[in-house]
Amino acid sequence: METTETTEDLGRRVRDLIGRMSPLGERTAESHHDVMNDLGYDSVAIVELALVLETEFELQPIDDEQAFDVVTVGDVEQLVRRLSGAGA
Amino acid sequence: MSTTTIDTTTSEITDAADAGDASLPALPTSRELYGRWEKQQWAVADVKVDRDAPVWQEMRPFIRQELLAALAELEVGEVCVVQTLSSLVDHAPSEDDRIYLATQLADEGRHVRFFQDYLSDAAGIDLEDAADGKALEAAASYGNLFEPTLRRSTARVREPGEGGTTAWYQALVQYHLITEGVLAATALRTMRTLARRAKLPALTEGLTNVTRDETRHVTYGLIAARHGVTAGHRDTIAETYLAGTRLAARVMVAPETRAVTPVLRIALRSRAAQLTGQWDMARDRMLRQLAVIGLPELRAEAARTWQSGCDQAMDEYRERWDTEHPVRRAAAA
Repeated sequence: METTETTEDLGRRVRDLIGRMSPLGERTAESHHDVMNDLGYDSVAIVELALVLETEFELQPIDDEQAFDVVTVGDVEQLVRRLSGAGA
Repeated sequence: MSTTTIDTTTSEITDAADAGDASLPALPTSRELYGRWEKQQWAVADVKVDRDAPVWQEMRPFIRQELLAALAELEVGEVCVVQTLSSLVDHAPSEDDRIYLATQLADEGRHVRFFQDYLSDAAGIDLEDAADGKALEAAASYGNLFEPTLRRSTARVREPGEGGTTAWYQALVQYHLITEGVLAATALRTMRTLARRAKLPALTEGLTNVTRDETRHVTYGLIAARHGVTAGHRDTIAETYLAGTRLAARVMVAPETRAVTPVLRIALRSRAAQLTGQWDMARDRMLRQLAVIGLPELRAEAARTWQSGCDQAMDEYRERWDTEHPVRRAAAA
C-alpha cells in the first residue's frame, strides 16, 4: 500500500467511493454533502459502504472514544483518516 | 368474512395474525380456503426468473450475500415442509381439512421449484456444487436449528400409539404457526423489501405469489389451532408453542453464523437496527397469533420466552465467536 498518500488524496478516494456507491446512481460526492439526504444512502447502503471502506482502507476496530456519528461525506473522510492511521 | 386481504396498491398481503386485534377475529373454514386456492393459482414458469439475472451480475457483495442467505433459508425450509406435510394430510381431523392440506402440499412443491429455479437461473448458484449451493443450504439456520424438531414431530404423527391427535396438534403448531407463521412470514416480508430495493422484478413477483400461498397456510394453522384449543388440546398447543417460540428466537439470532459487524459505528447501528427489526417483526407475529387462536393469556409468558431465547442465543454467539453479537455491540456503543 502507498504509504505517502496525503490527507487530500485519501479524502478524494473516500469521496470517489461514496459517489460511485450512491444508491441514486454514480455521482460526484462533495465533502459537504449529507450522506443520506443528498446521496440517498439508506441503512443497507450504509452497511455496504462501511464494509467496502473497511476493506479499501484497512480500517481497524473502532475505539468507542474515537467514534462519532457521521452525517456528511466530510465526516466519513475524517473518520477514515483516524481509523486508517492517516490522521493520527 | 375474508381474513386475507390483498392491497393492490402496495402489494401487501396480510393474514388474520396481522390484524393486530386482541379480540378473536372471524376465520374462514378449511373449505373456504380450498376455494381461495382454486382462485389464486400461479405458475413458476410465468414468473420468468431469468429476467433478474443481469441485476445479480452487477450486485454488490453485501446485499448479494443477504439475499442469497435469505433465499437459502426459504429454499431449505420449503424442501423440509414438502417432505413432512404428508403426515398431517393423512391424519387430518376431517375430510375438508385433508382436502385443503392436499392443496397446501402442491403449493409447497411449487415453492421449492420457484426458489431452486431462482437460485439457479437468476442468482447463478449451482445447487449441486459443494462449495456453492450445498454450502449455502448447509449454513441455513432453519435447517440446522428447527428442521430436526419438525421432522421428529411430523414423524411421530404416523407412529401408532404415539399420541394420535395430540401429536397432530404438536406438529401443526411447529409447522403452520412457528415455521410458516413466524419464521417464513418474517423472512418473506424482509426478502420482499430487499427484492424491491434491489430492483428484482421476478423475485418480487415470485415472493408475492409465495406470500399469498403462505397466507392461506398460516390461516389454516390458526383455524386448526383455535379449534384444538377449544377441543381439549389447549395445554398441548400452549406447551408446543412456547417451546417453538424459544427455538424460533434462536433461529432468528442464528448464533452459529458469524454476523456482519461493521467497524463504523453508524453502520454498526444500521446493521443492528436491521436485525432487531426482523426479530421484532417475528416476535410481534408470534404474539398476535396467540390472540387469534384463543390463548391471549399466554402472551406475557411467550414474550419472556422469546427474549430469553434471544439472550441465550447471543450468549452462545459470544461463546462461539469470542466476540459480542453486533446487536449487543451496537447497544453498548
